[in-house]
Amino acid sequence: MNQKRQVTEEEVTELYLFTRKHFVEHYDVQSELVDHLANDIEQIWLEHPQLPFDKARDLSFKKFGVFGFMDVVEKKQKAMHKKYWKILWRFVKEWFTLPKIISTALIFMLYFSLFQVPYSIHILFGAFVVWALYDLIQFAQNRRKNKGKKQAEKRWLLQDMIGETRGGFSFLTFVNFFNIINLLKIDFGTLPFYWLALFATLGTLLTIVFYVSAVVLPQKATQLLEETYPEYKMQ
Amino acid sequence: MGNQKLYKGSLQTIILKLLANTDKMYGYEITQKVKELTQGELKITEGALYPALHKLEADGLLEVEVAKIGNRMRKYYKLTEQGTKETVGKLAEMQEFLRTMEQLVSPKLSLD
Repeated sequence: MNQKRQVTEEEVTELYLFTRKHFVEHYDVQSELVDHLANDIEQIWLEHPQLPFDKARDLSFKKFGVFGFMDVVEKKQKAMHKKYWKILWRFVKEWFTLPKIISTALIFMLYFSLFQVPYSIHILFGAFVVWALYDLIQFAQNRRKNKGKKQAEKRWLLQDMIGETRGGFSFLTFVNFFNIINLLKIDFGTLPFYWLALFATLGTLLTIVFYVSAVVLPQKATQLLEETYPEYKMQ
Repeated sequence: MGNQKLYKGSLQTIILKLLANTDKMYGYEITQKVKELTQGELKITEGALYPALHKLEADGLLEVEVAKIGNRMRKYYKLTEQGTKETVGKLAEMQEFLRTMEQLVSPKLSLD
């Protein structure tokens, strides 16, 4: 009986390139697909041991259907998005368990008193628009930088979510929040106490969630990546 | 070959059940095992398996373990505690579903 033909290390490297060529950007997703393809290729070789590697690989890839890896990638992003929000929520909750009452109260008081100053909402809105623009520029710069190293380095889906997309939460969320308030044409000077308190609470919550996503999570990135990917430590 | 669409909604339960019987499995192993158990009747497609696994993982029902094989990374899935509990419920639901289908598809004739 023939010895079972195995995928060589060079061929594994080729499979990584192959997934990248088919729009799988992240190493965590690539790895799983590479192992799958390699297993399937070896299975194909059991029946056709002489089949060239490329042919066997294409046969295997065909089984993913007309959209190739797109479906797997898309669903993986969705799943990771969910995971990101779970992590974000975990740290937001942690904020409230740690004795951060004073800073929370300060943020609340800041919003609460600002809302009572005439035209303060416009000032706040303007400030956030400028901040959002700055954030967007930085984001674009990061993106460009990443594009350069895209080919060379391993990128992890969660890492990109923490560093770049932040689960879709950005300054734009703030701008939207204040935009809505603006559109409602609320005169904060005439609002009763509880409405002011409600808006200030919303602003405070938003600020904390933003702080966690933009500062706390990036600081803890390595720990979170190790937690999520057992293979991260193996590199 | 049966209609694969009929199996579609049961994919997660199938995965959970398989993992309940073994310690851990990797994606390709699952496809092969299902093929073997059903004598080729059910073929889990790649495009459906991984999304299902990733969803179960994100929901906290599965956890992963990685082994390095040469320069290949093999990702193993195993049930979490929550996953083990959930499997019991999902299997009960499945039994119920099978009973209902049975009644609909081949109702027993009764003389009363």
